[in-house]
Parts: sequence; structure tokens; C-alpha cells
Amino acid sequence: MGTSDNTPQASVEEQLFVREQTRRHFFGSAGLGIGSLGLAHLLSDGQFDSATQAAPTTPGAPGAPQKSHFAAKAKRVIYLFMAGGPSQLELFDYKPKLQQMDGKVIPPSYVENKRFAFIKKDATLLGTRRQFLNWGDSGQQISSLLPHLGSIADDVAIVRTLKTEVFNHGPAKLFMNTGFNRFGRPSMGSWVTYGLGSPSGNLPGFVVMHSGPRGPRGGTPLWGNGFLPSQFQGVPFLNGADPILNLSSPQGIDYKNQGQFVRAVNRLNALRLKQVGDPEISTRISTYEMAYRMQSSAPALMDLSAETRQTLDSYGVDPAQGSFARNCLLARRLVERGTRFVQLYHTDWDHHGNPGTNLGKPLDQRCAEIDQASTALVKDLKQRGLLEDTLVIWGGEFGRTPQGEPRDTLGRDHHIESYSMWMAGGGIRGGTTVGETDELGYYAVKDKVHVHDLQATVLHLLGLDHLKLTYRFQGRDYRLTDVAGDVVEKLLA
Amino acid sequence: MPRRSALLLALLASASVLANTPLTRAAGPQIDYQKQIKPLFARHCNGCHGSKKSMSGFRTDAGRLATRGGDRGAGIVPGQPDKSLLFQALTGNDDLERMPYEKPPLKAAEIALIKEWIVQGGKYPAEEVIVGGRRSSEHWSFQPVVRAKLPAVSNPAWVRNAIDTFVLARLDREKLSPAPTADPVTLIRRLSLDLLGLPPTSDQVDAFLADTAPGAYSRLVDRMLASPRYGERWGRHWLDLARYADSDGFTIDGARSIWKYRDWVIDAINADLPFDRFSIEQLAGDLLPAASLDQQVATGFHRNTLINQEGGTDDEQFRVDAVVDRVNTTGAAFLGLTVGCARCHAHKFDPISQRDFYQLFAVFNSCEDNNDANAKGPRISVPSPDQASQQTRLAAAIAAGEKPLAQHDASFAAGMPAWEKRLASINAGSFTMLKPAKWTTAKGAVLTRLDDNSLIVDFSVPANDTYTITLDTTLEKITALRIETLTHSSLPKNGPGRADNGNFILSEVTLTSAAAKAANAKPTPVPIATAAADHSQEGHPITNTIDGKPETGWSINTKTGSPNVDRQAIFFPAKPISNTGGSKLVLSMSHLGKTANYLVGRFRISVSAADPADLKIPAPILAIARTPRDKRSKAQQAQLVDAYRRTDTGRKTLSDTVIGLKKRLTDLNKAIPTTMVLRELKQPRKTHIHIRGDFLRKGAQVLPGAPEVLPEMKSSGKVGTRLDLANWLFEPQHPLTARVTVNRYWQRFFGLGFVETENDFGLQSDPPSHPQLLDWLASEFIRRDWAVKDLHRLIVTSATYRQSSATRVELLERDPSNRLLARQTRMRMAAETIRDTALAASGLISDKIGGPGVYPPQPEGIYILTQQKKAWPEAQGEDRFRRCMYTYFWRSSPYPFLPTFDAPDATTTCTRRSRSNTPLQALTLANDQAFFELAQGVALRMLVEAPTPDHERLRFGFRACLSREPTGEELGALSEFLASQRKRFSESNTSANSVAPAQRPVGVNASEAAAWTAVARVLVNLDEFITRE
Repeated sequence: MGTSDNTPQASVEEQLFVREQTRRHFFGSAGLGIGSLGLAHLLSDGQFDSATQAAPTTPGAPGAPQKSHFAAKAKRVIYLFMAGGPSQLELFDYKPKLQQMDGKVIPPSYVENKRFAFIKKDATLLGTRRQFLNWGDSGQQISSLLPHLGSIADDVAIVRTLKTEVFNHGPAKLFMNTGFNRFGRPSMGSWVTYGLGSPSGNLPGFVVMHSGPRGPRGGTPLWGNGFLPSQFQGVPFLNGADPILNLSSPQGIDYKNQGQFVRAVNRLNALRLKQVGDPEISTRISTYEMAYRMQSSAPALMDLSAETRQTLDSYGVDPAQGSFARNCLLARRLVERGTRFVQLYHTDWDHHGNPGTNLGKPLDQRCAEIDQASTALVKDLKQRGLLEDTLVIWGGEFGRTPQGEPRDTLGRDHHIESYSMWMAGGGIRGGTTVGETDELGYYAVKDKVHVHDLQATVLHLLGLDHLKLTYRFQGRDYRLTDVAGDVVEKLLA
Repeated sequence: MPRRSALLLALLASASVLANTPLTRAAGPQIDYQKQIKPLFARHCNGCHGSKKSMSGFRTDAGRLATRGGDRGAGIVPGQPDKSLLFQALTGNDDLERMPYEKPPLKAAEIALIKEWIVQGGKYPAEEVIVGGRRSSEHWSFQPVVRAKLPAVSNPAWVRNAIDTFVLARLDREKLSPAPTADPVTLIRRLSLDLLGLPPTSDQVDAFLADTAPGAYSRLVDRMLASPRYGERWGRHWLDLARYADSDGFTIDGARSIWKYRDWVIDAINADLPFDRFSIEQLAGDLLPAASLDQQVATGFHRNTLINQEGGTDDEQFRVDAVVDRVNTTGAAFLGLTVGCARCHAHKFDPISQRDFYQLFAVFNSCEDNNDANAKGPRISVPSPDQASQQTRLAAAIAAGEKPLAQHDASFAAGMPAWEKRLASINAGSFTMLKPAKWTTAKGAVLTRLDDNSLIVDFSVPANDTYTITLDTTLEKITALRIETLTHSSLPKNGPGRADNGNFILSEVTLTSAAAKAANAKPTPVPIATAAADHSQEGHPITNTIDGKPETGWSINTKTGSPNVDRQAIFFPAKPISNTGGSKLVLSMSHLGKTANYLVGRFRISVSAADPADLKIPAPILAIARTPRDKRSKAQQAQLVDAYRRTDTGRKTLSDTVIGLKKRLTDLNKAIPTTMVLRELKQPRKTHIHIRGDFLRKGAQVLPGAPEVLPEMKSSGKVGTRLDLANWLFEPQHPLTARVTVNRYWQRFFGLGFVETENDFGLQSDPPSHPQLLDWLASEFIRRDWAVKDLHRLIVTSATYRQSSATRVELLERDPSNRLLARQTRMRMAAETIRDTALAASGLISDKIGGPGVYPPQPEGIYILTQQKKAWPEAQGEDRFRRCMYTYFWRSSPYPFLPTFDAPDATTTCTRRSRSNTPLQALTLANDQAFFELAQGVALRMLVEAPTPDHERLRFGFRACLSREPTGEELGALSEFLASQRKRFSESNTSANSVAPAQRPVGVNASEAAAWTAVARVLVNLDEFITRE
């Protein structure tokens, strides 16, 4: 674009004034700005059009990369959220005793004072109809439903004893994401980007994607910023060429003309800045620049034509189709470009035993949809040297009961006492299984991992002390782990 | 401690009763409480459970208190140590830590002593002195409001009203001077945005500039306070607190109708309802004497809680959550206290106990709603005045129509005995059984005649067969023909049909007749007028057999009970069949439906000469009529009356009128909007402290009440009500309500309140920046009877408010967030104000107030991440351009413009919005189709309303968007951009046509209109455009 548009250059005084204001702003205590992203670029017309180049950031600016509390093992997170609650008893936690007691009423001692979403206290136990195998050198026990995952068993840590507190989908997803089962608190991705900022100048720091027949129960609060400034909210990416709302310029305005528009807006903004001296204006100038860069970097991100056939096949991606596999590949592309926290929701794991949601064919299908792609993601990250500082998390908001649910076909109800997840990469000890449940797979008997413990561990891996990552709101220092949480040492490499 | 006295009296009474109760077991040596027990408590317990510190709300420093117990319930149950929490705590159990906490247990002998004391009745002297009473606090915000004298200031000339003296005195102390007064255009724009949420029009700006007479500013303020836009602007602020939305929230997030509450807020604020009335009506309007409809609508405030409709939820859990939300919202909005912190345990910082929390909980715990998503709890209809008068008119017309109807009914009823008598005489068995003479089947079904003259089909069941039966009768006049379908053990499930379940589908019945005597008489078709059956399957009425449509038919399955019973159908010829000497009848029964094997399995034919009207009377009715009246059951009598009424042919015209009117009333009522309200249960719920906040773990029972550290809440009746709480908030000595409210108003005008933590005035709050001014304003608010417009007038006419917001370098360093008020604050506008400002600049804005939520255009893809797709019928016409506050708000997926600009998500109360500055905001303003439409509107105005020269048009557009005149530099920048855009669009017709508004003034081509649109788009994207300066 250069200077051919005859856009006048800002005077040296203007530049200096603006820079000084910016400096004052960000080193002062005010402002919820995003950081001074290359204001000089506008005024000097430097790399303005270079959309793929990460913009320089000002240290100390909210949203810009921050220092962690201690050395981080992981720099970024890809969280594969299996919405609905996958059955740990079909996938990760094999219980021979449960097989033996198949069809028998659960001993009352297990269910005294317990409440369930749908089943009754006298429901009968359901042994799994699935096969389990030992995988890799570590011999991790994983269901034959997940053969791809089995092939990387030595890279993966399985937690068998996760404990949550709420048994309805919406509240449980909130709990998993925000550490609290009601609305109003920031999500994990918001906390992490608040704590660490995002190195990506051209793409959001916290991105959410979705696959499956419907959106996850709970909606926007699951990736909401709660009481944190809204720049830390998760940005949903949509399937299609326009992944972010309002990413495309209005019809009839091409990218070059949009550049002229941004330049004109910011030239006038700079004049106003000179008149009133409000540092917020310099932030506004930089947000327009970043928005402009995003307009080319986001479509470039979604364009998979540069990926090799081999890569596409390893994930099982059809580039023309939205799918979990495609989202996994996009997640890799996002973290490559500096996005801090990517969360992929894949829905329909709620296997109560209805025609489309049961432990028969629908479970086969769900597993087929995610197994190859999530494994390929781990392998791809590893091959690119990214796995060592990228944390991959796989799991749902709760598990399923050892009791069967009497509906049309095989199914289980929501279970909050103990369920399974897996993690890999950034600082995780591969090939290890943490925790043990009782012989029916009902309660944890060894190494119970509360959701707050998991959250504390995730933050720890990112170099953040969950006790120190706080935000003052309504007179109290809030944190992701509420008033609990211990780092699970056994998960750490 | 007057509040506790009733309780203590009750306890004293029970203690003395117990003292006189003889114990049945042999008593050991009498334990002396003073000498043996009290010292034990003092040594081991009182440290944590005494007058200074009372963990779990429990005290052991007096026998009375130990007996009463704490949050978990009674401490001592006299005579029953095992049921006494105090005794259980000495050993501990699953639910209770062993006490003393993390210290060695009491010695076995000591425990035994306490046990024996309880066994003996746990007696203590009635005169035992209790040290310490009500909880109190030295914290400033719990002290009464003190109206300070106005301080002396360095520059009295600057002072316009009392506010300024306090502000200037503080600046004097800091050795700072106030900023100069903002220029008039900034002032009118600031006022307009603050009071109305809209920018001034250029005409309004000109008028203000032209008004050079003294008092111009005050007159401007008065005009704005009188504008209905004021109620919208300040209504929207209040709706943040009220967490108002148009859906239930959570994952299902169904639609709800509560916009009447939103409109009530706007109207109340426009009417300048004093803040105490405004609040009391919202908290307890339903409990006011002779509550008006409006006062009930106002209680929607606390019905803006969420409802969780997800499958498998425990409704009680979410009902409790809604009540908790009411407590928290009340705490944040009126008390400025984080009372919710005391839900699970005593407040960590503030003197609020768990008991305090649950006393407030009890105030709200007896509302009728119960997380029922379908009924949505109590609702009322709110007719408009026009609808209300229609209701009255229709009701009167119905009453007028019902009068003649009643007269008719009375005289008709008088004829019933005669009718009954006639019925009793009807011989129901007046059918003559006919013996089939001949029969054929079209598809080969084999029919066999049984001894009772019925025909039965055998197992072969060909598809879609038709039976033709010839019958001879000597009856000379036939008024009816009856087909009985009969069960038989050879039929599936005993029949009477051949379908697997015994059903059949008889599709058509036709009949011919000929004189029996005439040998060669030609059979003539007998038209059948009606048919009646004793039972028809839903959707398969008997009339299907005479409708000429082979695809429909009569079937007999049942919803309840067995279908496998005998049935009968009677067919009535249009005219009786009359042949002297009898007739030869040919009956055809066809089965032509889709389920081809649904044949009638066994049947029998008979004919009758009786009056069809009599035959239509069902046999059971005839049986009742034959039963003497005093032997009939109530149900039978009712059936009979019903049957008699059916014979009433004269009633129809009369009743049709009434029915028509009633239908109109029903339709009218359906069209009247409903709104969710609070309503109290007749039988209040009991409230217990929830141990650790778990609603399943019930502790001590509590009654409605206010936190102990605050003034006492008076009860009008036996127990406190919501109305008592609402009145209590506005007691003159209440230290919080006025302070919290004026602080929040101040925050709206200056960006921050004196107390920066506007929802927390507790011990963790920041000290107020201007404590005396806060108190002065609070007392002034009360002195002016909570008149809000007065208070706002006072604030906006101050010199403090009128300062320039331009940044001064020394203040950026010293006072970046402007707590000292040495200038005004430059604030990015709220989401709604941004869109409204663009609507106003475009000239497209609608000034319609209120009504159901509207659907302006929104980008595609909003519902990809919600569980259910939401309805978004994009508005056309006026509703596309309504003020943003009327946009339908789905909690799970709000209109994206709103959260992008920090609008709250309406799940919990919001007392202050953040003001972020993000790239997504830039993308929205630059690219959002709905916003782009408004830029086109601005461009159109520049082309139509402004003088032709470019600089005039630019000036016009600049003023329309920013109110002020552009500087030469700004005009230069815009001109250059205009030139570049003209060039751009003249090169591409396609681009120009996409960008230019669809409707253009004559003589303006597409590329010119597109270039102006590009300019307008720049204007509505400027930082200044979305900022109140």
C-alpha cells in the first residue's frame, strides 16, 4: 500500500506526543486497553499490511504477554471438551467386579444420601460391553474404542478419579470451566489469558470452536470473562470462511480500501488524541490496526490449502467440512500463531440410553469422531516440537454411573464421584495413570482429583500459582479454584 | 437487644417449664451448672464460641445461648444428650468436627459430667447474665449519615452549588485546581448523553448556543429531565441491576414475557417516582394494601432470576439459587454489601453472619415461583387502557347476552320431567334382528352365519374386501339400520375385527332397498343422512363410513380400556324406507383403507321403525331415564341433564351470541401481554440455615430479618415480610441505602463513585474519596424525599460536572482514574448508547417507547454455539431502528453487539459495567451490517439535508455525528479521504453499488453516494463518536 495513497504522515511532534501518552497510559494504573500494538506502524506506515506478522507488544500492557509466577512447562493449552460426559467405564476405567455384578441392584451403601439426575436408587449395575487393552510400554489400560489414543499411550496421562460437584450439564460445565457452578465467574481460558496475555498480535488469545449436532449446554458463559475485562472473553470461531463475527468488510470494500478506511479513522483519532490527550484513544488506534490485521490473518488461518495431504489424512480432515478433526487441525494452526488457549467443544456424549445417545453405536460413532483427530493433534504437535510446551486436555464435565439407566437401550446417568480424563504435552508425565476407583468404579479410593485440583494443575503447568492468580471483585480476591485446589504432583513430568 | 427479646422470653419459658418437669430416670447427684459446667465451657469452648467470637453462630458463655444453639440448630435438647449438638461435638461424628477444634478432647470425666447435666435437664439459672448483645461495627458505612457543614474553599467564585465546595476543598488540600468549564457544545453533548443516552441534534446545539440569556444551562437541564428519553436512559441503568432479560437462562433458555416490567421502570422514572416508592414497589408492590396492577408489575424486579429447564434437575436446588440471587441482588443494589459471601459461612470480612444471610433469605423464601419453566411461576395479564375498556365492554355484553339465555334455560329445564317420562317409555330394544338371506364377498372372504344371525369371517382375510348382504324384512317403515360388530373367540384378541389387535376399518356402508312383494322391483339406493356409533376411535368417526371416501373409515380402538368389546353403529336413511309388505335390503360394507386386512370379523344387522331422535339417545341414557330419580347417582343425573340439553334446539342462537362474545374476550385476553410477578405463598416456607450453603443440610430455623449490624427491621405482623424489608431500607436512620444510591448515581456521571467498589461498602471497600460529600448528598437525597430528578439536576448543574474532561499531564500521573475530580471523565459510551447514537445520527431512529423486544439485523452464526437455535425474526421497518434497549435479550446468546461493548449478560446483578477497548469492537463498528446501514443513513442525510459544497456536507456529517464543528485539520483529513474514495468507487461500479445506499437522491450517482458512505463510516467509527467527553 505504501505511500501511494498520499496519506499524509504524522508530524514528528505528533508521533512523539502519542508515544508519550501511550507510555504513560500503560505504565500508569489506568485503563483496560489491549496494549499499544504498533501505533508507530500507523504513523510511519511501516509493516501495516503485513497481516501475518505478529505485532510488537508493549510489556506490561494488559493483554500483552505477562510474566508467569515461575518457570512454565506449558505455554499454551488446547482443551478438547467432550460435552455431555463421556463414559469412563467404557473408555478408561475397567472394573471386573462391575462385570460380575451386571444386572444386580447396586448395594445401598453406595447411594445413601445421593441424588441423581434421572435414575433411581435401586437402579441395577451395568457391566461394560466393551473390551479393554493394555497399550504401549506403560501398559495403560484403554478401551478398544480408542485404538489411536492407545498408540500414544506412553505420551498420555490418564486421570481416573476426577471429582466434580454438580450433576446437571449446564452447571457442571460452568464448574469445569469457571470453578463455580453458577454464573458470573471467568472461565479458565479467560483466567489464563488474563494471567499470561497472548503472544498473538493478529488473532484472539482465547478461541472457542465447536463440532457436533448442537452447541454445548451452557452457552457463552462457558467461555465468558465473568468479572474480568471483556478482552479476555473467549472468541467463538465459526465454521466457514468468516470465522469471527463481522470479520469481513462490508460488501464492496476490499482489503485495500479497508486499509484506507482504518488509516482515515486513525488519522482523525490521532488528531483527537492530540486535542484531549486521553490514552484510551491510542488504545483505540491500536485496536483498529489489530482488527485490520485480523481480517487477513483469520481467513489465512482457516485456509488449509497449505497443509499436506498427509497431514489432512492423519487428522481425517475434509477441508470443506466442519468437523472435530478440522477443529483439531485449526487448533494446531492457532497455537502456532500464538493463541494462548484453544477450547474445542464436541457435543453429544450424553449417553443415557436413548435411540441416538446410548452406549452402543452412538458411542462407537463419538469415539470414531474424536479418536483419530485428537491423537493426530498430539502427534502433530510432537513432530513440530510444540508438544513439549503445549498442554492438551481431553474430557467432559462429568462421567457416567456404574448403574445402567433403564431407557430404550444401554445407557448410564450422570456421575460426579469419579470420572476420567486424559492430558498430554507441556509438563505432563506421559504413560501414567493417576488414581484408583473402588471395585464398582463408583468412588475414588486413591488419589482423588477434584476439579479444583485439576484447575490448579493446569495453571501450575502454565507457570501460574492458582493462589496468586487473583482478581479483586466485590471486595474479595477471586480465583479460578475458588477456595480449594492442590496441584496434582503425580501428573507432573 | 429488642429483636432477640421475644425469642429469649420463649426460651426462658421453656427452661422454666423443664425445670419443673420430673425426670423419669433415677437421678444421680445433682450437677451444679455454675460450679461444674460453666467453668468447663469457659476453659474449652468460649474462646471460639463466646461474646467476642461466635463460630458457627454458636455461644457457650451462657446456658441460654448454649441451649438455643447456632447455625446448625439447638445446642442442647434437655434430657437427651445424644440429640444435643453440643454433646455430639465433644466426640464428633461424620457431620461434625470433634471439638475443641484441633485441640485435645475433653477428659472422659468432663464429658460424662456434661452428659449428666444434659440428662438432668441442662438447667441453668434464669437470671444468668449474657454479656454483649447485638453485633456492632465501627466501620464508617454502618454509622448514620452525618450531614457536614460546607467547608471553606479557596475560590468561592467557582462554586455553583454545595457539591462544588466539597470537591474544591479537597482539591485545595491537594493543591490542585479544577479544570476549566467545558465548551458549550461538549456540555450539551455530555448532558444529552448522560441524561438521555442520545446525542443532541444539530438544531438543539444551535438553540443552546443561541440562548445567551442567564439560566440557559438550567433550562437545558430542565428540558432534558422532562424528556421521555430520560426514562429510557436511566431505566437501562436500572435494568442492569435488575438483571433484566427476555429469556430463562441456562442451557434451554426458553423465552419469557416480562417486558412490561421493563416498561414500568421507564414510566416510573419518567414520572419521577421517588426512589423509595420506586424501590418498595419493586421489592414488595404485591404486598402493598390494594396493590394496583402497576405495583404488581413492578415486582418483576425479583422475577428476573434464572430458571433451569434442563432435564434431570432438582427444581428445589434452582429455586433456592433464585432466592439466593434475590438476596445477593438486594444486597448489592440497596445495601452495597456482598451478603452472598455469608451463604456458606460467616462473612470473612464484614460483620455478617450466616444467620444474617438466611434471615434475608427467609424474607424472599416464600415467593410462589419454583423453577417451573412452563408456568414460569406467578404471572399477571397487563391490559393496555384500550384493552381494559374492551374487556369491560365485552364482559357487559356477555352479561347482557346471558340473561335471555338464563331465562330460556329456566323454561327449558321446566320441561325436563316430561322428557324424562317419555324417555322411560322408549323401548331401546325396538330393533328387529334380520337374518341374512344371501351374502357375497368381492375378494373371497368366507362369511358364515351363526345361530344368532350374525355373520363371521374366517381366517383367510383377503385384502380390502367388501361384504354384500341381502336381507328381507316385513317391517313396512324403516327409520334406522343397525350394524353390531361382535366379539368372538375365533377372532384375534376376540375381535370384533380381524386386525391383530381386534380392530377394523369399515370404510363405506351403502344400502339399497326394494319392495319385498314385487318380484322384480328395482333396488333403489337409500341415501343415508347420518350415522351414530356407541364408540369411535379418535380420528376414525362413524361418519367416515358415509362420506364417500374409501380411504377413511370407522375404527374402534381405545385410549384406555380394552377395544375388544361389542360395538354398534346405527345408520339413518334421509327418508324412512317405506314399502308395503316389507323390503328387500342389500347392505354393502367395504374395507378399502390402507391397512388392507382390517376387516370386520363378526357382525349382525337389525332394523327399526322407531323415531330416529329416540334411537340416537344412547342406551345408557335410556337406562338412566328408566331408573327412578332417587336411585340415580350424581353422575348419572348429570349425564341425563346433559342429554336433555342436547335436545334443546332453541338455545343455539341465543348461546351463539354469548359464545361469540366469549371467544372475542378469550382472544382479547390472549393478546394481552403477561408479565412475571412476585406472589407470596399462602403458607410460608420454613427457612433453615443451610450448613455450608448446601440446601440439603438444614441447620437452625430462622425467621425473616435484617443483618444484625444494621438497624432493626420492624415487622408489621407476626413475622417480617418483603414489605417490611423494603420499608426498612428507607428508614431515616438506615446508613446504607441513600449512600449506596447516590454513590451509584455519581458513578454514572463521573465514571467512578466516591466509593469505587460501588457494590461493596463493607470493610474491604476502598475508603470514599469524598466522605463528606457522599454523606451530604445522601442526606440531601433523603431531605428531598428521594426525588431522583432533583438529585440529578443538582449534580449536573454543579461546576464539578461542567469541567472539561481533557487530560492534563500532571493529573495522568497523579490521579489517573480521576478520583479527585479535578476534571470530568472521558468515558466510552455503553453499548446501547453507541448504537442509539448511530441511530440518531442516521436520522433513522424510532422514538417509540416500550413494547415487546425487537430484532434488529444481526450477523449469521450466533446460534452455532447454543444448545437450541433461537428465534430471530429480523425486523423490517420501524422496529429495525428502535433504541437498543428494546433489543430482545436471549441470555444464552445475546445480540452480539451488546457483549462486545461490555453490556452485562443479565445472569446476575450488574452495578457497574467495564469499559473495554478491543479489536472485536473495531470489527463490529467497521463491518457489522446493521451498523453499516446506519452509516449509509448518515451519508444520505449529508447528501439530502446539507448544502451541496463538499465542505458543507462534511461539516454537516461531522456535526450530526460529533455535535461540534470540525477543525480545519479534521476537515482536511476528511476531504482527502473523500477524494480517495471518489476515485476508488468511480473505478468500480460494482463496489459503488454495494456500498451506496439503495435509495439515493436524484442526481447523485452510485460512486458519489458510496464515497459519502465511506466518509460517514469513518465518522461513526471515531473514538470520539463512541465517547462521552
